[in-house]
Amino acid sequence: MTTAARAAEKQPKAPKKKLGKVALKEERTAYLFILLPCVGFLLFTIYPLLFSVAASATDWTGMNDMVFNGFQNYTQLFQDEKFWKSLANTLIYLIGIPIGMILGLLLAMGMNRKIVGVRVLRTMYYIPVISSLVAVSILWAWVYNYDYGLLNNILRMFFHVQGPAWLSSESWVKVAMIIFMVWGGLGNSIVLYLAGLQNIPRVYYEAAEIDGANAWQKFRHITLALISPVTFYILITSLIGGMQVFVQVQVMVSDGGTNYSAATVVFYEYQQAFESGAMGYSCAIAWILALIILVLTLVNFKLQKHWVNTMDE
Amino acid sequence: MKKVTRVTSLLLSAALVAGSMAGCGSSSSGAKTADGKANLNILVYMQDHEKKVYTKLINEFKKTHASEVGNINFQVTTQDEYNTKMTAAMTSKKLPDIFYVGPDSVRSYVDNGYVMPLDDLIAKNKDVKIDDLWPTIIKSYRYDGSKTGQGKLYALPKDLSTFAYAYNKDMFDKAGIAYPDPNKPYTYQEFLKVCQKLTKDTNGDGKTDQWGASFADSFMLNPFIYGNGAHYLTDDYSKVDIVGQKAFKDALQFYCDLTTKYKVTPTVQEDSAVGPYQRWLAGQVGFYGCGTWDVGAFMDKKTLPFNWNLCAWPVGDSGKTTTWLGTVGYAISSKCQSPDIALQLISYLSTNLNGQKEVSGATGEESIQLPNIMSYAKGDFKNAVKAGKVKYPSNVDVMFNYIGSENNYKGIFTETTYTYNSDWFNTFTDGLTDVKSGKKTVDQYITEIQPKMQKDLDKAIALQNKNKKSSSK
Repeated sequence: MTTAARAAEKQPKAPKKKLGKVALKEERTAYLFILLPCVGFLLFTIYPLLFSVAASATDWTGMNDMVFNGFQNYTQLFQDEKFWKSLANTLIYLIGIPIGMILGLLLAMGMNRKIVGVRVLRTMYYIPVISSLVAVSILWAWVYNYDYGLLNNILRMFFHVQGPAWLSSESWVKVAMIIFMVWGGLGNSIVLYLAGLQNIPRVYYEAAEIDGANAWQKFRHITLALISPVTFYILITSLIGGMQVFVQVQVMVSDGGTNYSAATVVFYEYQQAFESGAMGYSCAIAWILALIILVLTLVNFKLQKHWVNTMDE
Repeated sequence: MKKVTRVTSLLLSAALVAGSMAGCGSSSSGAKTADGKANLNILVYMQDHEKKVYTKLINEFKKTHASEVGNINFQVTTQDEYNTKMTAAMTSKKLPDIFYVGPDSVRSYVDNGYVMPLDDLIAKNKDVKIDDLWPTIIKSYRYDGSKTGQGKLYALPKDLSTFAYAYNKDMFDKAGIAYPDPNKPYTYQEFLKVCQKLTKDTNGDGKTDQWGASFADSFMLNPFIYGNGAHYLTDDYSKVDIVGQKAFKDALQFYCDLTTKYKVTPTVQEDSAVGPYQRWLAGQVGFYGCGTWDVGAFMDKKTLPFNWNLCAWPVGDSGKTTTWLGTVGYAISSKCQSPDIALQLISYLSTNLNGQKEVSGATGEESIQLPNIMSYAKGDFKNAVKAGKVKYPSNVDVMFNYIGSENNYKGIFTETTYTYNSDWFNTFTDGLTDVKSGKKTVDQYITEIQPKMQKDLDKAIALQNKNKKSSSK
């Protein structure tokens, strides 16, 4: 630690001694006020979290007294076909993330220009983000309807082909979910990218032009490079969110799909807890999922120094 | 002035903290009012129109028992949320005094000591009469520590239901086919023939627009399986037993052939576009399963614009048309402090004649359920149906035959009732579309699915044993 840092650390301590009676009381009152969210956090976040760690090592059915059974739930998990299937489905759905990011960036670049009705467009793309996920899922279930759905009707009208049974076919259901998720996440990434794009000073582009850079080079070395923190943020948050997909499946394919082809890990977790009565087991699934998400996030943070540009450098 | 601010802020934050804590636990169950009257908490799931009737009944009970009853907290949730709420109640050890238990969960509730046996209470209480309730249903709430169906009684039925078959009369008229005889169920071949006559391309575009039947596998397959004398599990519910069981294979083959070979039902894709229920409402299919809970809606011309009546499910080699029964009952928490009053209340909801008239539609409203009281159901209620005074299809006997397993009818609880969960059965129906779309043969499918079902069943049995072990401590 440098001396400067040490000094900086000491500094706040010094005036504390000088605190008067009134200030001290004021400080105590302040603690009282921040107590509330702290208690809430401990009670409603930390406690359930620890509780589920404990429960994951028991044979709890949701009804019985918990009896410790060590890692039995976890070992059982590794031989559980449905768990692996739902995990594989979840990972397949992640394909939507890069697609969504590329589309989001392109649309954001389009909307960053002065074109007519740009505000209306921005609003339109943002609507899915603020809509209720349940309502939107019901809507898309109709879009994907085999006979009467919008999508198959378009395919029939313009291409004269019969579209697939989107939600009951084992492979198409994944395509359907990916399309839906890309659509749903687009608004968010557009807004973030727009903010990122507007932060890039125009002078960089002008300087590059003087140096004779073409459009691609400008995009590659200025735009892409300078919005990499935004890209990183979107990537991390959508990975975490993508691993926890639940509502869409629950609403659109409530039985998990033909041969469990649409089920996600969280969907399986929910079914185990509340339909199969395997609460302890469900907690174990939740923790394995948490672990996977943690590893994914850590890897991302490790890799970021290779491609994310921060102001420090 | 400063002091005032401080005190106020202290009070304020204390109130906030207290407020945030209050959400965690509500009043303890079975508490009494200051003057010693019993307070009761009830948690059930119901639809709005049911809730209306039952709220009325509870208010009446409160009035007639004003000297003993203080406050009745009647909480209604949705069926989806019920399990979640009950799990939370069990975890926090604050069960309501009265709640639903189905025949499929009697075992786990009793094993874990959550519910109270009712026999002694009933013996003490002269007003509570259960002799006249349907025996099959009462039996389903008995449990002796290892088997459901015998032993002590743990709940009084809220309702009883069965899943009969219904047919579209108008469609039969148009095709010039005689109505099905409720006393003589169709054989498989007869059923197929009728379905073939009903399956039509009505507008000549080369696509079928009207089908004989349409099936939702998870609840319409079983009448075929059980009606052919087949089963899924061995008698002790420990092994899946479908491979090598001819009756099972035949029934499943016929059921799938209706779609793949004879094409008298919509295809798998068409099913996924418009579900069987919607097709029935739209008058596109001749037959559809009709639960006792459906009757109210089906009697409404706005829901079903055509004429319809009840009939029996087609019957296989067993000779007995078979379908499944359902019920849910009121149980009393083992921690309840006023079990006598609680018993009187559930008995009022379960066996009160006026209440039963109201829920069965005898007072002119729609029918939510059949009357629990057998003598009334088969006597005055049936006569009122015949006289057209109750909104019910004239073949109401089909329902009664199934519930009482009378004549050549049989009503049973599905095997999932006796296993800890129904994962093994869901696994079976999940992949059945592969057969119905022609990707797999019946033989292939059952050989492939049986070990998977066994795995699920083994897990369920393990969970069930854990339930028992911890309670016997």
